[in-house]
Amino acid sequence: MSQLNRRSFIKLAGSAGLLGLAGPPLLAHGATKARVVVIGGGYGGAIAAKYLRLADAGIEVTLVEKDPAFVSCPLSNEVLAGDRSIDSLTFGFDGLEGHGVKAVQGEVSEIDAANREVKIKGGGTLPYDYVVVSPGVDFRWDAIDGYDQAATEAMPHAWKAGPQTLLLRKQIEAMADGGTVFITAPPNPFRCPPGPYERAAQIAHYLTRHKPKSKVIILDHKTRFSKQGLFTAGWKRHYGDMISWVSGAEDGKVLAVDPKKGVLITDFSEHKADVANVIPPQRAGAVATRSGLVDDSGWCPVDQRTFESSIHKDVFVIGDSCVAGAMPKSGYAANSQGKVCAAVIAARVNGREPPEPSYVNTCYSLLAPDHGISVAAVYRYEDGNIVAVEGAGGLSPSDASAEIQQREAVYQRSWFRNVTADMFT
Amino acid sequence: MNTRNLLRLFTAAALLLAAVPAMAGDVDAAMVSNTCAGCHGTHGESVGAAPVIAGMSEPYLKSAMMDYKEGTRYSTIMGRIARGYSDEEIEAMAGFFAAQTWTPGKQELDAELAGKGGALHADKGCAMCHGPVGTAPSPTVPNLAGQFAEYLYYQMRDYANPHAAIPTTAMVMRPMCQNLSDEELMSLAHFYASQQ
Repeated sequence: MSQLNRRSFIKLAGSAGLLGLAGPPLLAHGATKARVVVIGGGYGGAIAAKYLRLADAGIEVTLVEKDPAFVSCPLSNEVLAGDRSIDSLTFGFDGLEGHGVKAVQGEVSEIDAANREVKIKGGGTLPYDYVVVSPGVDFRWDAIDGYDQAATEAMPHAWKAGPQTLLLRKQIEAMADGGTVFITAPPNPFRCPPGPYERAAQIAHYLTRHKPKSKVIILDHKTRFSKQGLFTAGWKRHYGDMISWVSGAEDGKVLAVDPKKGVLITDFSEHKADVANVIPPQRAGAVATRSGLVDDSGWCPVDQRTFESSIHKDVFVIGDSCVAGAMPKSGYAANSQGKVCAAVIAARVNGREPPEPSYVNTCYSLLAPDHGISVAAVYRYEDGNIVAVEGAGGLSPSDASAEIQQREAVYQRSWFRNVTADMFT
Repeated sequence: MNTRNLLRLFTAAALLLAAVPAMAGDVDAAMVSNTCAGCHGTHGESVGAAPVIAGMSEPYLKSAMMDYKEGTRYSTIMGRIARGYSDEEIEAMAGFFAAQTWTPGKQELDAELAGKGGALHADKGCAMCHGPVGTAPSPTVPNLAGQFAEYLYYQMRDYANPHAAIPTTAMVMRPMCQNLSDEELMSLAHFYASQQ
């Protein structure tokens, strides 16, 4: 650790709060080969931090996360059903510290690419040789008239797991039998393409048992959605007519909301909701925008072979915020991208050519506690883009037996245990 | 050439050979293998129920992936995934995971079921191929000792199911599993899983 870095780290510790200083003392291991700052401790950032250390313990890795712990979005729909606690989705950073990652709690104000520094709100800077940005998504607060930050207290998005998830759960629990839960689904691209439709199933799973006269209505910006055939069949089988879906072509696009009255407004209708879950249109995480890493699309263009920003050298963007060719904005995609990015940085630090990248996405949805469905894909880098390998991947078969549906539900939980162990242990 | 030089030459050749599987063509073994970790755990050390693949034998890992790829082994998801990898990538993965240390899956098991499974293992002659406690005696046989019980049970269910594809080399498992009740299959799974 250099003098400069040590001094700034202590300054940061004093100003922004520190999660811990555990891990091997880097000073004792001689010269640090490179300093990498990772912004965001989720599906992408935690993996990039850990795999950088696994690739080369000479790389000093500092993980900056604004929250004291990470709460997983995947599986958070089960909290809405009352089948899972938020604690079971919450992870600290001790395991990463065991790999020699320095975890720091603080909010990044911006990346100063010219001076190679990450600036922390409230003071403090972290100098870097490389920075990995994995901040997830931000919401487009100007997209739905009336849906601002204050409106999320009446109409939760619950699209970042934590207090918003618990608020939505509370509202559903408080709703009278015979009420209507509305879910508004955003236009592409957005975090977790099957998420709104799994959410409808999980809410219906709760309502079927406790408030069977209730309805779930999805107002969609889109005209089709992920795993559509499997979801539609599964909704019908488990929940009868409880769930209905309104296509963007049939007045499903929510243009405005009135949070006080609980009203959702489309082109031709006004819907009075007993519970309104508004999943707003999305863009790259705010820190990426503040750091000038986004283009006109609102997302971060990157070299899809390395995840290095097309705008700033030595700045890498992974996960939901980046434009990653055929890969969806999912937890597993972020995991896979974090590993490619870590391998690229480790290769550069050691003066080697980065390896040929290989990427995967595997994503499970739970229609009912004993009915899982999945989508998978393997990707390669070809002519500047990440493309799905032809003939591979795809969906669970629509004619899967009950035994196999149950097996996929077991593997969904297995996926969660392993993917979070990959991140945090 | 004296003995020491010969030995050096031999060591150098062995090191070169050892380096080959990890480098098959342009394939980076760690890069392709790390894509598996989201479901199978870091370095293949699964925390369940997906099988532990860290420290499985190279020939078995390779044949399992090739069977998934070619559709000669039933799976929920592995066929879809295995078809995305070249034979060279599969070889590199097999080498990578075989080089890791087998870590028995930590899991809650039913001691009574495991006891019944142990008796069945002895009665039915499972040890002939699977060794005294399910620890693979040959590199072409999967290690069962300490594997996750759910996974083992699912595999036996597939062996028993005439509609599920199973590799030719495992055909002997079909009548074995068809002649056992569901509870017996579960007992065997708990027995092998308990062999930590």
